[in-house]
Amino acid sequence: MWLWYSWHSAAVVNEEGDVLDIESNDARFSVHAVKQRLQRIANGLLSPEAEILAERFPDAKPIVHGSEGLPEFDVPQPTEQQIGLADEASLLLAKEGVAISAADPDRRLEHLSRASEELRTLHLSMEAQLIEWVGLFLPSARFETNRGSVAGRLSEVASLTEFATALEVDDAHEQPTPSEWKALHGWAVMVANQRRQLDQLEHAIRVSAQAHLPSVSTLVGPLLAARLCVEAHGRSRLARLPSGTVQVLGAEKAFFNHLRNGSAPPKHGHIFMHPWISRSPRWIRGKIARMLASKISIAARIDAFGGTPMKQEDVDKVEAKVEAIRTEFSTPKRR
Amino acid sequence: MAKNRRMRPLSDSVLLEGRSLWSVNANPGVAIRGESLRKFRGVEHRRWDPNRSKLAAALLRTRNDPSDLLPQAGSTVLYLGAGHGTTISHLHDHLCGSGNQKSGRLIAVDLAPRCLRDLTYLAEQRPGLVPVLGDARKFETWGVLLPRKVNWLFQDVAQAGQVEIFTSAVRRFLSKDGIGLLSLKAASERHREASEPDVFAAAIAQLSQELELIEHINLTGFEDQHALFVVRRR
Repeated sequence: MWLWYSWHSAAVVNEEGDVLDIESNDARFSVHAVKQRLQRIANGLLSPEAEILAERFPDAKPIVHGSEGLPEFDVPQPTEQQIGLADEASLLLAKEGVAISAADPDRRLEHLSRASEELRTLHLSMEAQLIEWVGLFLPSARFETNRGSVAGRLSEVASLTEFATALEVDDAHEQPTPSEWKALHGWAVMVANQRRQLDQLEHAIRVSAQAHLPSVSTLVGPLLAARLCVEAHGRSRLARLPSGTVQVLGAEKAFFNHLRNGSAPPKHGHIFMHPWISRSPRWIRGKIARMLASKISIAARIDAFGGTPMKQEDVDKVEAKVEAIRTEFSTPKRR
Repeated sequence: MAKNRRMRPLSDSVLLEGRSLWSVNANPGVAIRGESLRKFRGVEHRRWDPNRSKLAAALLRTRNDPSDLLPQAGSTVLYLGAGHGTTISHLHDHLCGSGNQKSGRLIAVDLAPRCLRDLTYLAEQRPGLVPVLGDARKFETWGVLLPRKVNWLFQDVAQAGQVEIFTSAVRRFLSKDGIGLLSLKAASERHREASEPDVFAAAIAQLSQELELIEHINLTGFEDQHALFVVRRR
């Protein structure tokens, strides 16, 4: 015996397809009421009519409209007007769902992270362009050691001569025209602003990552934590990845090349950013990456499934392991 | 104007003109994705781009009568994996028309909030289109919107297990003799070793078990690594 139900009515049906009892609601619903009913059913709850029948037939197995295994029977139909209401309610539900999706921290972190990556790339190439541009007019100026400060300082001066004086180099032999200077100065202002904007973005990423991924952030820093989370398409997916995948996240190109052509497999993806790996000698980076990836996996699982967040002493233990690997393999293996 | 190109109506609102498809714009003056608008005999049509819509590609490629691939205007249909609504909009032109004068009903299910953002916007301009934010596999959450079985079902979900999702949807929601269209993306199936033909052959075997396979349309050229299967429920 089954208790068939939909949002507007419910029926008790036996194995032969005979309808034993039926509860239909022909009331004129409001869209809001229909929306609530659709929501109840989507959450796996019975409709009010089904609840009435469930009391009358406690043995009947509740089964929602559209399920398989029901015998053929005369399915109670909603009225045309009710169908129209259900359509309106469905549109409202969809809109609500779209609006709620902005609450998802994974999505927010993804936008922050992508914006910051995009801006960083743009900033580096615009900065390079600026330095080449200034270098054309001031050939004796060298920017090797102070690239980062050029834009800021140039944006604060009123002329190229003033900038040359500040740098203590020869003034330009050929001066830019006023309109050229205006464009060059504007460019410098823009590059300097990008720096500030980048700092803002990274600050926002740090704050979000520390809230969303506290353990991973404590272990490897919030910026790397955010990157891994975005690359894995979300915290819950990061938590479900094997740590071997976490190790090479961000090195997909090298990894699939390895599978296809048998080139050397990558030892590290984004986690190379971490100084434990990038500041270690080449021959132990793989070992440290493997160990660190397994710890990141554990941390991600703590964050995703609500464990006790990692503390500094846990990080110290991992660091001790890194040190142990560094001392044990202090010289490269001889080939 | 191309007067000597062959014009062939596929339905009241879908027109095949030479090698291009057009549908009568149900929302006159508005192009959804920058497609061209053109008047045929005083009625504004939107170009239905086969490179953007697998259904359009199938209509051009099929060896059978393309009008058999379209649902009956004014009926209720189910579309799983609605995406951003390019195909949906043309289907709506055909099924519902301006102000839903043909009283069609198009249930469009998609999982991604980003897609629903576009679909809900579309639905507000096109009565008859019902967007649903939900998983194609979790029919319990949206199945109650279909009190009767439908005669036409389309699926384009690009996730692993596409064929199972399709056969399950067909069993639940497609009426006897109804037409089901499955757009299969070979790359979505998790067979690292299996080549594209193998994936399609496996799908054919699986579909033929319980359904009548009418046609296997290869979409290479319009959409690589994709095929469209047309089935009828026995």
